[in-house]
Amino acid sequence: MTALAMTSEPMGLEGQIAVYLSGLWKKPVAIENLSRIPGGASRQTYRFDAVMGGQRRGLILRRDPVDSLIDTDRRIEYLAYQSFHPLGVPTPEPLVLDEDGGVLERPFFMMSRIDGGKAASPFTVAPYAPHEAEIGNQFFSILGKIAAADPATLPISQAARTPMLETCWSTELDHWERELDKDELHPNPIGRAAVRRLRRHPPKPAQKMSVVHGDYRSGNFMHDGEGRILAILDWEMAHIGDPLEDLGWAIDPLWSHFDPTRVGGLLPREEAIAVWEASSDLKADPDALAWWELFNSFKGLVIWISAAKSFRDGGGVDPVLGFTGLYCTRRHDQILAQKLEALLESAP
Amino acid sequence: MTPTAPELLIGNFMTLIEPSPPESAGEFMAGKIGVTGMISLLLAQEMEKGAAVRVAENRAIRGLLAEAAEGGWAPAQTAALNTLARGEDGDLTLTALDRDNAALRTALIALQAAVEEAANAAGKAREKRIVRLLRENADARRLDLPPMPAR
Repeated sequence: MTALAMTSEPMGLEGQIAVYLSGLWKKPVAIENLSRIPGGASRQTYRFDAVMGGQRRGLILRRDPVDSLIDTDRRIEYLAYQSFHPLGVPTPEPLVLDEDGGVLERPFFMMSRIDGGKAASPFTVAPYAPHEAEIGNQFFSILGKIAAADPATLPISQAARTPMLETCWSTELDHWERELDKDELHPNPIGRAAVRRLRRHPPKPAQKMSVVHGDYRSGNFMHDGEGRILAILDWEMAHIGDPLEDLGWAIDPLWSHFDPTRVGGLLPREEAIAVWEASSDLKADPDALAWWELFNSFKGLVIWISAAKSFRDGGGVDPVLGFTGLYCTRRHDQILAQKLEALLESAP
Repeated sequence: MTPTAPELLIGNFMTLIEPSPPESAGEFMAGKIGVTGMISLLLAQEMEKGAAVRVAENRAIRGLLAEAAEGGWAPAQTAALNTLARGEDGDLTLTALDRDNAALRTALIALQAAVEEAANAAGKAREKRIVRLLRENADARRLDLPPMPAR
């Protein structure tokens, strides 16, 4: 336990948090049970208890690392939580954002902690059994609810740029192609072929602008082990765009838990899309969705290529970057190549 | 390029030997150690087949480049395609094979882009031929994880 001004030793993170919260809440705060946890690719995540006046509150700290897999805007992530927590989307309650970092040295935000849940690793088998259908219905229904919301009325619009309905696809594709140009260490003909294909066959304009979570998939939500989703997490790539973007990512084969009959390891594909359509009151046009599926497999490939570069640049000390840079790059290469081949074979 | 086996193995060592601050010693470190284990499982496959896969891929790309040069798929590139198609993998270290592979892939990207410009039946057939090769190469490079139950 560290309480404010207990020691003249250099402060560790526990002491830094105590100093920060004591200043924020104008009362002495002690920090207990501080523990770093896995969570997200672009922030360091910690859980801890803040004890003030005999009252204990479970909190989460998300702090910028020195280097990260994906350069993302912590303000947009924070505003995404602020946007959807009041709407009843299960998320932690955002509490404070400090973009300067102050005593914690790097930008951070804090939010309430949701206990009693677990998040599945995407690389395990049948993590939701026997509750796949219940969780799948919630998972795609919540995504539909996010898609249905009007971003212009939400806090996230204070920081996230709103693209045009007709060109939001190229905004995203341009971004991820630039990332590939920047981080590609070895020529990737599959990724390059995908970019050319996506540009030659653009999708229909988006039906509406929506908040796009950006990483909505199996593994990025907590469930209680009995069929209930407790929290949608990791909004670090949130932006405004075509609602089909998130749907395409959620059903990417990489997240299927090795079960080709269920997207996300949860529901048969058509069932998942139907749940999303009913919840969002939007249509998943098959051609447009196919574009966003191909795009998402390309986006995934680029994320893993960037992970490989970060692993090398960082001296190889983050095994998650090494693992994703190897395994996920190879998997998304294969997934993307299969999709390109299928599209060519099905062309008239 | 995906991280190399030496980079990953050295990284695993660094992960295990580097002291952690107290707040990172529990669940976070347990997660990291689990990932080092998964990397070891992948590298066992990569060390077994990595050289053979690269030799096969380089040979297949050279074959396709030769076919493209002879068939005039991209006339402006014929000389370069012929030069690359005549190469061979003398040095079988992964580093050398990757170096040759980079040159071959760069030529393949340019060839594919040129082939895609042709809207006729021959162009479509060539495009399919290239994409099939890409898919076969990706299939060959795939690494598998064992079925791991959720915790």
